[in-house]
Formats: sequence, C-alpha cells, structure tokens
Amino acid sequence: MDETVLGEKKYRGEFIKPGRHYLEGSEACVEGALLAGMKVYAGYPITPASEIMEHASRRLPQFGGRFIQMEDEISAACTLIGASWAGAKAMTATSSPGFSLMQEAISFSIMTETPLVIVDVQRPGPGQGYITTSQEDVMQARYGHHGEGPIIALAPSSVQDMFELTIEAFNLSEKWRTPVLIMAEETVAHMREQLIVPELDTIEIIGRKKPQGLGITPENYLPYGHELVPPMANFGEGYNINHVSLAHHADGNVGNYSLKAHRENIERLHQKIEGSVNEIARVESQFLGDCDHVLICYGSVARTGLEAVKEVRELHGIKMGFIRLVTLWPFPEEILRNLISTVKTVFVPEMNLGMMKHPIAEALRDKCDQVISIPEIGALHNPEKLVDKVLEVSTC
Amino acid sequence: MLKHPMLEYIKEEGSSGMRLPHILCPGCGAGQVLNYTLHAVDDLIKEEGVKKENFVFISGVGCSSRLTSHYLDFDSGWTIHGRSLAIATGALLANPELKIIVFTGDGDAAAIGGNHFIHAFRRNINVTVLCVNNGLYGMTGGQVAPTTLPFVNTPTTPYGNIEDAFDLCKLAEVAGASYISRWITAQPMQIIKAVKKGIANKGASFIEVLSQCPVHEHETPVDSMNALKEITVPVKKAESSDKIPVGELHFAPRPSWTERYESVIEKANQRLS
Repeated sequence: MDETVLGEKKYRGEFIKPGRHYLEGSEACVEGALLAGMKVYAGYPITPASEIMEHASRRLPQFGGRFIQMEDEISAACTLIGASWAGAKAMTATSSPGFSLMQEAISFSIMTETPLVIVDVQRPGPGQGYITTSQEDVMQARYGHHGEGPIIALAPSSVQDMFELTIEAFNLSEKWRTPVLIMAEETVAHMREQLIVPELDTIEIIGRKKPQGLGITPENYLPYGHELVPPMANFGEGYNINHVSLAHHADGNVGNYSLKAHRENIERLHQKIEGSVNEIARVESQFLGDCDHVLICYGSVARTGLEAVKEVRELHGIKMGFIRLVTLWPFPEEILRNLISTVKTVFVPEMNLGMMKHPIAEALRDKCDQVISIPEIGALHNPEKLVDKVLEVSTC
Repeated sequence: MLKHPMLEYIKEEGSSGMRLPHILCPGCGAGQVLNYTLHAVDDLIKEEGVKKENFVFISGVGCSSRLTSHYLDFDSGWTIHGRSLAIATGALLANPELKIIVFTGDGDAAAIGGNHFIHAFRRNINVTVLCVNNGLYGMTGGQVAPTTLPFVNTPTTPYGNIEDAFDLCKLAEVAGASYISRWITAQPMQIIKAVKKGIANKGASFIEVLSQCPVHEHETPVDSMNALKEITVPVKKAESSDKIPVGELHFAPRPSWTERYESVIEKANQRLS
C-alpha cells in the first residue's frame, strides 16, 4: 500500500477547478457535494438518477471518502443516517419511486435531527410512470413522510444550480441539523451547459455545531437541548449520545412521557424550520415593478417561464412579472407576499397537474384576482404554451 | 444499597428525571442479553483496553431493540424497524474504527429487516449482531413471526401457523457472516465469551440467543426457560438429534467491507498519480 496515500491519509483527489466548465447537471451535483465536504455516498441505481451515483463512485474514493451501492433505497437513506451520526457529511440521489421508499428515513431523520442530503431526480408517476422529467414529487417532499415534520427542499433550474444548491443543501442540513432535499428533475440532471466555479476559498462551507465548541461537557450534554438547533456530538467522541425518534425530552429521555414534553418536542422542530423560513428560503424575481400579472415557477420550468415572460413583455406589451422559487419548503409565504402588492393574475406553470399552485394561491389569496395553473406532464413546457395561455387570459 | 455492577454502563437518570425502569416485562430474556453483552464489553474495556467511546449500540424496533433505547451510557441509536444494519453500515463507512453492537429481534432482523440482514452479512461489515429470538412479536402482542414454529397458535394465527420457520444461523451463514453462534438465555458465560469473540472478529458476527417470552407464552419465566433447554442440544451432539443445535456454528474470518474498500481508495488515488 502506498504510504503517501493511505499511511498519512493524504489523498490525491482535487476539487473542480475555478473557472468555466461544460458539465452535466449530475456531475455538477457531485462536484458541489465534494466541495461541501461529502465523505459518504450510499445509493441504489434508478433512471434518471444513476449518473450521480456513478460519478460519486469514481470521485469519492479519490478524497478518502466511501461510496456504497446498497440493496435498496430504504437502506441507502438509512446508511446516510449512520454516516451522519458518525460525523460524515453524507448524500444519496434517487428518482421518484426510490424517493417514496426513503420517506421512512426522512421522517426519522427529522425527528432525530440528523443532517443529510437527498437528491430526488424527479420522473413522472404514479407507479413506474415514465423515465422522463417531472415535478410531481414536490408535495411528497413536504408531506410524503409520516408525522408533523418540517422539511427543507430546494429546486435547481440549471447545471450551475446543481452545483451551488448542492453545496447550499449540505450547509443548510448542517446548520439546521435536519435532512435537506434537492428536488431536481431529469431535465437539470441530464442537462449539459456551462458551469462557472468561483475561487474555492470564496465558497462558504458550514459544519455542524458541536457541544465541544460550546464548552458543553459529556455530563451536561443534552442531545436535543441547549439551543433551538441542538449541538450534535458525533459517535466516538465520548458524549454517549442516544439518538431516539420516540417523542423525547431534551436529554433524550423517552420515559416520563407527558403531552407537554411531546408538544414541546414537536413545536421546537417546527419552529426550527418553519419559524426560520425567512432565513432559510430564497426566491428570485424580475420585472415586478408595476406588473399586472406575475408568473411563479421553479426548477427547470423557470427557464421556459423567464423566456415566456420576456416574450409577452417585449412582443405583446403585457406587464408581466417573474418569480422563481429557489426554496420550495419551508414555503416562503411572507417573502412572496412582500414581493407582490396586487396583481390580476398569477400564472403557475409546473410539470405536474398543479401542486405548488396551492400554497401559492393560499399565500396570495388577497393579492390577486385569480391563480391559473399551467400543467404539463412528462416534458418541459414549450414557451409557446406559456405565452398562449398568458395571452388567452390577459386579453379576455 | 448493593447495585448491579452493570449499572456502571446505564444512565439511571438525566435532566428530565429517571430513565429507569426499563420497559421489559418481568422474566424477559432481553434483559439477560443486555447484561451478558455489557459484561463482555466491560471485560474488553477493563482488561483489553478497548476505548469505551468506540463502542456504539444500534437497534431497530421491538422488545429487544429497547435494549438500546435511551439508557445506555454509550453512543447509541435506537432506529427504524428492520434498518439497524443499514444504519450500522453507514456509521462504519464514516468511521471504520467504531465497534458496533446491534441488538435485534427475530421479527426486526428476519422479517422487515430481512434484506438488510443478508446484505450486511454478504458485505461482512464489521458488526456484532445479537438477535434475541423469542419466536414471536412481543411488543405488539405476540403475533406470529418468521421464526415461529409450525402449528403454533398466535393472535394472528388463531387456527395455527401454516408456515415454516427460518433458521437464522443458516441464513446468516449462506449470506456470509464470518462468525455465527447460537445460545439460549440460560448460558451466560458462553454468551459473554461469544460476544467477545464476535467483537474481536473484524467482520460480521451473528449471535442468536433463543429467548423466553413468559408473557405471550403464558408460562412462568422458569418454565419458559426450561422449555428452551428441552428443545436445544449442544452442537457436538447435534448430529444424532433433531433438536436445535446451540454453540459455535461457524467461524471463517475474511476481510470486512471497509478493509476491502481500502483497495478502492488506493486504486482511485493511484490513477491520479
């Protein structure tokens, strides 16, 4: 064995270089994960997500990390839980049917406050559906897991996003001690386009808050206490941490059950994510000054959406604004409300039959006359479809 | 007051009050298994200098999984029904130095966790699995399990069990576990020794402990334990008997997953030079 490699634990893997690259979204995702500090990847093959795991299997050992192909998506997600407890940043990628199987682990990770990252390269359903593109899991992301568990879910719309939002997902998961979902689509995972990597030392990388850093001794350590986001001890550090998903007290005790303690447990989990929505969530917007209508979208539909908005403004003189949800969950209700005064129509194009339309309509219930869904199944919308719908509604 | 010596490794109370008593029924075999395991770990810490902080206990869901729960004074995870071996796999990928002990039951390991059971052993991950096999689902009311003997009546087999039982040790062997032994709860010294051997084995060790469930068997703990003695025979005398063999059944050390993965890391880095 080459001692310079393993004896001194010096690995030869190099991060992606700053500058311009031409990459597939799947590769950009893994490169971002490596920069974020991913040390464990566990997965199970599924179209159209397998490219991510193949790239991870090649790249991760170059950095001394470990890659494993598990026996199913259930165990892949569970592997991340164990890896995270033992101190590693860990990720998996799957597609919609596999995402269904991971819901159990997601629910458990929310309750045990376990940082990990899951990429869902969405394909259409239900059932095997098809292997093309989709945004049909955005409600599963929020409500697929059992129980009152808030979640963070991001929606990339480009190769650049697959890189940047993967880093952001790791940062959010460590900062808030919670699982984070990247709701990608076949479109962005298989897309090849320019990626611009900034100088690496300008990229912010966040690690979990530790009891050692706060001067908390093992004797005084509360695995689910101290702060809104409890500091997390890793396995092997002598903190004798007991991870439990039964309703628990701050010290991890599941005994002495009381409704009060149970509710405090759930309320803190809720407060941690939903109560911090304005810190966690991001949206992007253009043309919102004096607009009559607004188009709200996310993921790769934001690309078609922006093109359509520009076209109706330039060619048809319609005052149309554009909003892209970078964060799907926690839903940025207040941010949306602050962006929009009042408009006539809110258009929501999605690659499903109208899912995010619902929280959008709820958020803007008194700020618009109508919310119109523009659904598409199994493929990206043509810009013409969006333009035609806008013209049909705004001219009648 | 004289205290049980293994209370050294139990968190009796915390900031929210008492953590004990545990939830196990009087006469349950799971507590015996915890006692024997802690004795083995105690020996390794005090006699062989193994670092206490390197031990990690992982369990799933069920009576035996409550051995991990919230009162062990070790790093631990009381996890998802059937998934303890997948979660243990992840912990080892992050830190191969950990000494992981998994507590599981027959339903947890062989029904809902069956897939992870065989694949963890195929990979020979460095873990010691203690399976408390009472042949039924104790936590939920005594329903039939994949280890229940044929014809037995349970709450979900009111007309008798029509299915045959798994032999968990044979299953573990064909899957690839490198150390396998089977005992009954009435064999403390043998189990302590087996746990130490399992932890020393740098691969997947499977230790099945046939256990009594006096509550669902409607027996006294003593009668229930004596019944285990009746149906078992030492492995040396097993050939001439149709009883269940107990003792060391298989020992064939081979490199663990994480040991083999070192060659992956090496090759990946060599290609970059």
